[in-house]
Amino acid sequence: MSGERKRHVIPGEVITSGSYRAEQNTIQVGDNIVSTIVGLSDVHDGSVRVIPLTGGYMPKDDDLVIGKISSHSSLSWTADINSCYVGMLPASDVFGRDYSSSSDDMTAKLAKGDLIAARIVNADMTRDPLITISGRELGKIDSGELVKISPNKVPRLIGKRGSMIQMIESSTNSQVTIGQNGLLVVSSEDPNGLLKAIQAIELIEEQAHVANLTDQVNEMLESKSE
Amino acid sequence: MGGRDTDIVLLDENGIRCDGRKVNETRKVTIKAGVLKNANGSAYIEFGDNKILVGVYGPRDVHPKHMSDTDTGILRCRYHMAPFSVGERKNPAPSRREVEISKVIKEALEPAVMLKEFPRTAVDVYMEVLQADGGTRCAALTGASVALADAGIPMRDLVAGCAAGKAADAVILDVNNEEDQAGQADLPIGYMPNLKKITLLQLDGVLTPEEYKQCIEIGIDGCNQVYEIQKKALQDKFFATGEKQ
Amino acid sequence: MSDGLIIDQLKKNQILDLLKEGKRVDGRQFDEPRKLTIDIGVIPKAEGSARARLGDTEVVAGVKVQPERPFPDTGDKGMLICTAEILPIAHPSAETGPPQPPVVELARVTDRGIRESGMLDMKQLVLEKDKSVIGVFCDNAVTDHDGNLFDACSYASTAAINACKIPKYEMQDEKPVKIEGEFTEPPITTLPVSVTMAKIGDFILVDPTIEEWGIMDARITITSNSDGNVVALQKGGSDGFSQEELIKCAELSVKVGSKIREIIKQSK
Repeated sequence: MSGERKRHVIPGEVITSGSYRAEQNTIQVGDNIVSTIVGLSDVHDGSVRVIPLTGGYMPKDDDLVIGKISSHSSLSWTADINSCYVGMLPASDVFGRDYSSSSDDMTAKLAKGDLIAARIVNADMTRDPLITISGRELGKIDSGELVKISPNKVPRLIGKRGSMIQMIESSTNSQVTIGQNGLLVVSSEDPNGLLKAIQAIELIEEQAHVANLTDQVNEMLESKSE
Repeated sequence: MGGRDTDIVLLDENGIRCDGRKVNETRKVTIKAGVLKNANGSAYIEFGDNKILVGVYGPRDVHPKHMSDTDTGILRCRYHMAPFSVGERKNPAPSRREVEISKVIKEALEPAVMLKEFPRTAVDVYMEVLQADGGTRCAALTGASVALADAGIPMRDLVAGCAAGKAADAVILDVNNEEDQAGQADLPIGYMPNLKKITLLQLDGVLTPEEYKQCIEIGIDGCNQVYEIQKKALQDKFFATGEKQ
Repeated sequence: MSDGLIIDQLKKNQILDLLKEGKRVDGRQFDEPRKLTIDIGVIPKAEGSARARLGDTEVVAGVKVQPERPFPDTGDKGMLICTAEILPIAHPSAETGPPQPPVVELARVTDRGIRESGMLDMKQLVLEKDKSVIGVFCDNAVTDHDGNLFDACSYASTAAINACKIPKYEMQDEKPVKIEGEFTEPPITTLPVSVTMAKIGDFILVDPTIEEWGIMDARITITSNSDGNVVALQKGGSDGFSQEELIKCAELSVKVGSKIREIIKQSK
């Protein structure tokens, strides 16, 4: 590893100086590389970035997100995707090319308040991101409980190669659909398992910055439910 | 302000001010980040007897739409005083003073925030003064930049606020309400401590060129002290390990 | 504001399914309000103040007391005005600018509950008949919104007024002059307390959260006084109540209200 130790930084704080490339969440000021956000600095192979500990979700192409239908026009639905931009779901994505605004009833398919698992098709920021619900694991969500965490903590929840989320799912007999936007749907046949899975997720949300997180979560999962 | 008649001794023979401070001393400042449940970022600041809650929402959709900018996110600020925050009850409707302070605080924060990556959105900063005791704009600005950092809005630097001024012919740091009412000058400063840039500056009163120089010098010194407290508030919220929440 | 809130379908189903089993999402009984904490004196510069936290809903009330010229037809009584506003920090849907109808309703219901109960003996707040009276202004600022602002404002107002100090004034040349450092207790006659109930289907729920608020069919706010009498009412929402339901609601409000009143008394 050529990296320096990760450090906690806040906006304006100098991370390092010299000939480094300023990457995500950093700027170059004179000779210095400065953080623009609260997070963990990461100096690696001549580049510097900061892993954020707070902030909203910015849509990226191919991200899986969970959205809540907020309204519709005659051509598309809009979905709240927990971001500064709303997701646009074209009617043709659900009805196919033959969609006709006069004969097809949009609210019969998706109504205000319905939850969907969707994928970001195009997020170029010049207009609201286009989303789709056709595809494997996508579509309307009919059961489970919606849980919200900070989008920055999603990687921690998933863990290295999915280790953390697999540990939670297998020990609580639950399924967790993870949206990159910080919205999750947790479902389980077993009410206690559901409760435990949600508690484990909340623990990760609170303690994401500590080193021995996996141990803590494991300990919590193995303790008897009250 | 012309040094209104008063029976308060603003500075005694030992150089001690009416609230017990030395001339170059700030009031006690405490800041807590992340105090509101619904806001994306928040802070509660006590700056002497000032008590201010700041909430940040955004980046988010802009309403009305015509205010949005296709090239960048925009910053909107509202400084507002609760009717019970001052001696005589304040009318709840925004006054011209509040509108002006909102504007100067917005322009003090704009050099710090980086909203290019959020086109067509707005970041709203709401500063609610629950109790006022002189120097509310500096306190509100200080709290606002902590709340913005708490919300994860990218910033080049924090902005710290502290006023300098003149009372009983002495240059003083962090003017309180009595000194503001009966003193000779009030010079609020907003300052980016790492970039070393002043982004808020106003003056109310008369200063000689030499006093003006001194005021800016101790004002910056005050801002640097306030900055350390801002830093600690963010560290306490995000980096505190162990059980204490 | 909350009237335009969209509750996700899964949460809505969950709330409705649980109600049929006699349960609420946060584990409360139907007639159980959320945990209430009241801190008084949070704004030392105001003559009275209280922060009420009802679950995650939070309100700061501040009381200012100052001499006023009375209205021509009520020169033998002091003045009492309560207001409420939802600060934009409280919720993403809260708006700045002129108050919208739900906020105006909140302010008026808060005011009515205090005023109609006769909480303060206004006759004792006269400095000189027809010339100068004492005005008591209680302003509520909602700082965090998790449903049922009516009750949070009621508790904050009652606690703040109950704990306020009335400065002493002397009439000099027909003008009131404050005597520094001298105060009297406010002339409290009763402690009004509102209890808001949501109707969801056939269920009546005391102190709805923002999610229950988002799916309720109708609501009712009933204010009772220390004697257990009903002093103010407000029905809202787009459904109605049966006669039996209204009688049940009134009983509930008196029962729940008496426990709330104890918390307010102890806060002083």
